[in-house]
Amino acid sequence: MSSIKEKFNQISPSEFFYRNRDLAGFSNPTRSLYTAVREFVENSLDACDQKGIFPDVHLSIKAVDPDAPDPKPYILTVKDNGPGIESKHVPLAFGTVLYGSKFGLKQARGMFGLGATMAILYGQITTNKPVYVKSSTDGKIQDEFELLLDIQKNKPVILKHNTKEVTKRGLSVSICLEGDYAKADSKIKDYVYETSLITPYATITFDDPKGEKFHYSKIVNEMPPAPTIIRPHAHGIDVETIRRMMVESQFEIPNIDDMMIEKVRKDLGLTKKNLTFAGIMDKATKRWKTLSRPVRVVISLMSFLAMDFDKLSKIRIDDIDVPNKKLYYWDFGDSQAKSIDLDSENPYYKQLTGTVQGETLTAFLTKRFQRIGPSTAVKFAEFAGFKPEKRMGSLTNEELVKLSDSLQKFEDFLSPDPSCLAPLGEEPLEKGMKKFFKPDFCAVVQRPASAYSGFPFVVEMGIAYGGEIRPGGPHVYRYANRIPLLYDEGSDVVLKVVNDTDWGRYKVKGDPPFVLVSHICSTRIPYKTVGKENVADRQEIERELRLGLQFLSRKLAAYMSKRGQAEMAKKRANLYAKYLPLISQFCTELSGKTKEPNYKKLLEEEITIDDK
Amino acid sequence: MTTNKIKDRKQKTKVKQQNIIDALKDHGAKVYGDLDNGQFPKFSIPSRSVSNIVYDKKLRQYILGNSAAVRSSRNSSQLRSFTQLMWLAFFANRLTQEKKSSTLRDVYYSSQAFAIEFEDQSESDNIIVDLEAVLSKPREDFHIFPEERSSIFGDLNIEYTIPGYEGKKMNLSNHPDGYAIGPSLTTAELLDTSAEIVIAIEKGGLFTRFVEEQVDKKFKSIIINTGGQAPRSTRTLLKRLHDELGLPVIILTDGDVYGEHIAMVIKSGSANAAHLRELTVPDAKWVGVWATDIEKFKLPTIPMTESDIKRCHDLQNDPRYQEGIWKKELDVFLKIKRKAELEAFSKYGLTNITDKYLPQKLELAKSL
Repeated sequence: MSSIKEKFNQISPSEFFYRNRDLAGFSNPTRSLYTAVREFVENSLDACDQKGIFPDVHLSIKAVDPDAPDPKPYILTVKDNGPGIESKHVPLAFGTVLYGSKFGLKQARGMFGLGATMAILYGQITTNKPVYVKSSTDGKIQDEFELLLDIQKNKPVILKHNTKEVTKRGLSVSICLEGDYAKADSKIKDYVYETSLITPYATITFDDPKGEKFHYSKIVNEMPPAPTIIRPHAHGIDVETIRRMMVESQFEIPNIDDMMIEKVRKDLGLTKKNLTFAGIMDKATKRWKTLSRPVRVVISLMSFLAMDFDKLSKIRIDDIDVPNKKLYYWDFGDSQAKSIDLDSENPYYKQLTGTVQGETLTAFLTKRFQRIGPSTAVKFAEFAGFKPEKRMGSLTNEELVKLSDSLQKFEDFLSPDPSCLAPLGEEPLEKGMKKFFKPDFCAVVQRPASAYSGFPFVVEMGIAYGGEIRPGGPHVYRYANRIPLLYDEGSDVVLKVVNDTDWGRYKVKGDPPFVLVSHICSTRIPYKTVGKENVADRQEIERELRLGLQFLSRKLAAYMSKRGQAEMAKKRANLYAKYLPLISQFCTELSGKTKEPNYKKLLEEEITIDDK
Repeated sequence: MTTNKIKDRKQKTKVKQQNIIDALKDHGAKVYGDLDNGQFPKFSIPSRSVSNIVYDKKLRQYILGNSAAVRSSRNSSQLRSFTQLMWLAFFANRLTQEKKSSTLRDVYYSSQAFAIEFEDQSESDNIIVDLEAVLSKPREDFHIFPEERSSIFGDLNIEYTIPGYEGKKMNLSNHPDGYAIGPSLTTAELLDTSAEIVIAIEKGGLFTRFVEEQVDKKFKSIIINTGGQAPRSTRTLLKRLHDELGLPVIILTDGDVYGEHIAMVIKSGSANAAHLRELTVPDAKWVGVWATDIEKFKLPTIPMTESDIKRCHDLQNDPRYQEGIWKKELDVFLKIKRKAELEAFSKYGLTNITDKYLPQKLELAKSL
C-alpha cells in the first residue's frame, strides 16, 4: 500500500489534478467549457465582492475556426473591473496549482485559483496554447503575461511579459480550450442569466460564438456587505471538533532546558546577576505583568520547588498531578525521582493548574465560540450541569459527550453570526426578481441564520407569480453561495421541499405562472455529489427552507385570494355587460315598450362597487 | 249543440290566450321597471324539489307546496339562467301572439337566433318547465307542443283555430288511420259529437283493431291511442273532451304495473307536472287489463321482471295507490308476479277483445 503514497508524492499537484480532472468538472468538452466559464466568472465576482467593487464582467467565447465541427478549440476570455493581481503574483497564481489566498471560515463562491488553474491546465492540455493574463491593480500600469504551465514541475513558464499604460483597473484572462459549444450553449446561457439574477449589483455581458450579445445591467446600487472570518457557533458542533479545540486551549509545561532558563533570566532582566531564590521571586512579582505564559509557568514551578536557576537546571519535571496536588520530578544531581506537595494556597497554584488543565469552561466558550458572552456561558454551565470554572482539561470522555450534547440542546445561544455569510439581502433579491420576471406578485424572505454541524447558513427565498412569467411552474431557480445550480435538480433538498408543498392549499392551481428562487449561503454547502450541483437534505437546512417557503406561500395565498376576488369581480362585470342588454331587449318587447330601460346605471354601479 | 254554446267556448279559448299574454306582459313590465329604476330584476319560481311536491287529496293530484326560489339577475351564477328564462318568456309571447307552434327541440335551436346559449336541450327543457311554474300554465298554452304524436278517431267535429285554417271544420271519423293529436287539434274548437264515451287505449295495434271492428260506432265512442304514456297534448285533449263535451273517459292498458300507472297519470297527473293543474281527468276510469282479469279471462302471461317488481313496491308508497282497485290490483300483481298484454286476448280470436271483453268492461265502468 505504501507504493500508492509514494506515487502520489512523486507526481506534482498539477499532474495529480490533471489525472483527476473529472472531479473538477472537466470530464468532456461540453462540461469543460461550461466549468471553465463558471470558474473565471466566479473568480471575477468574488474578487470584486471582496473589495466592494460593483462587478462589471465581460465574458466572451469565440471559435478559433467557426466552420469546424464541434468539439473544437474556443478562445474563452473573461474580463473584469476587479482589484487585479499584483504583477509578481501573476505567474504563480495562474501557472501553478494550489496557489491562492487562504480559505478561512467565510463564504466565497469557490476556493480562489484552484478551479481557474484547472481550466488553464485543461486548455493547455487540449490545445497546447498559453494563457494570456492582463492585470492592472492601479488602473495605470497593466502587466501582460503569456504563460504556460510546467505540469511535471508545477511551475509557470513565462513566455512573454510586458507592461502597458491603461486607464482601467482589472483582470482579463484568456485561454484556448477544446469545447463543444453547440451542446453547452443552453447551459452557459442559463448560467449567465441566473447568475445575473442572483448578482443584481453586477453587470454581466456575454458575447457568444454566434455573435449574439447578452447584456444584463446592474439593477441595484447597493453591494451586500462583504463576509468576514469568524469563530464557529455552538449549535451543531460535534465531540471531535471540541476535542480539537481543547488541545488548542491547553498549554504544555515548558521544557526546562538551558535555553528556557536563559529566556527567563533575560525576561526578568537577570542576564548578568545571579540572584537567590527569594530575590528571583521578588523580581518576578514586580515584572509579572510583562511576562509571557511559558516564563510565568517556569516561575510558578520554581516557587513550589523553592529552587534558584542553578538547582532548576539540574532537574526534569515529570508530572503535575493536580487532583492529588503533587509535583513529580527527577533530580539529576542524586539520580532520584522526587515529589513535593502543591500548596493550593500558594498564589502560583492557579497559574500552574490553569496551564495544565486549560481554560475554564466559561473562558473556553466565550473565547472560542461566536455569540457567547460571560453571562450566557454561566447560564449554559448551569444548564449542562458543569461548574463554570470547570477546567476543560479535566473533562472526562463522558463529560465531553455531555458537553457536546448540551451545546446542541441549549436554546439561549444567539443564532449564528451571519457576518461570515454573504446573503444577497431581501431588497436586492426582490428588485432583481421584479426586474427579471416582471411578475404581478413578488415576495422575498431572508431566514435568520442557523447552523448545521457548526457551519452557519442563511436561507433566502423569493416567490413571484403572474405577469410575464411563463406557465408550467413552479420554475425553481436554485443558488448556493450565489452560484446557480443547474444540474442534478432531481435529488436536491430545495426541490424536495417544493415538491412536498401542496400548492392547492395556497390557491395555486393548474399550470401556474410561478417562479421560486432559493439561495443557500453557508461557509460550507453540503453538496451531495462532487459535481456540486445539488444540496443534500440536511435536516437543519430543510427546516429553514420549509419555514421560508411556508412564509412566502402564505403571502402568495393572500395575494391569490385577492387576485381571485378581483378576477371574480371582473368576471361578474363581464357577465352583467353581456346579459343585461339581452334582458333589457327581451323585456322591452314583452312589456310592449319601444324604448329600452336605462340599465346602464346598473353596470356602472356594479363596477364602482368592485373597485373598492 | 247550440251556436251559443260554441260561441261561448270560442270566447273562453280567446280569454285563455289573452290571460297568457297578459301574464307574460306583466312579468316583462316588472323586469322593465326594475331595470329602469336601477334594480336587479328577479323571478320567484315555485320550487320543484321533491320536498316541495305534495299530494292534494281534494284535487286528487300532486301539487307544489309553498316554497319558492328566487332567481335574481344580481347573482352571477343565476344571471345566465335568468336571461334564458327572460328570453323564453319573450319567445313564448311571440309564439302566442303569432299563433305559431314550437317543440322542445325547436326551442333549443331557436334560442341560438337570439345569442342565448343552452348547453344542451335538457337545459332549455328545464327553463321551459321553469316558465310553466312561474305562469302555472302548461307549455301547450304558450304554444310549445310535444314531439310525440298519439292519435284519435271517432265522430267528432272540430274547427281549427290555427292561422291559415281558421274556421275550417273537420270530422275525425273520415280517415281510418286516425288523426294525429298535434298542436292544431289540441287548439281546435270541439264543436259536437255523437259519441257518448272516450276510450283511451295504450297501444297502436289495438287502436287499429278497434277502428276496424267499428268500436266507435258499436259503442258510440271516440277512440284515442295514447302510444304508451300519454303525451301532455293528449292529456289536455282528454281533459277537454271530458270537461267541454261532458264525455266519460275509460282507459285500457296492458295488464301490468306500467299499464296501471299510465291510467293513473291520465287520471291524476305525474309528480313531474305538479306545478300544473290542467292536465288531469280525475273522473277517468281504468277498466283493464287488471291483475284479476288475468285469472278471470285465462290470459296467457309472462313473468314479471325484477324492475316490474321494484316498480310495484315504489308505487305502494304512492298516496294514490292506498285504496280501491289501485291498491287491490297492485297487490294482486305482486302476488302472482305475472303480467299480460292487451294482445293476449288474441289467443281466443282476433275479435275476442272487442266482442267479449270490451262490452263487459264498459258495463262494469258504469258501476265504478
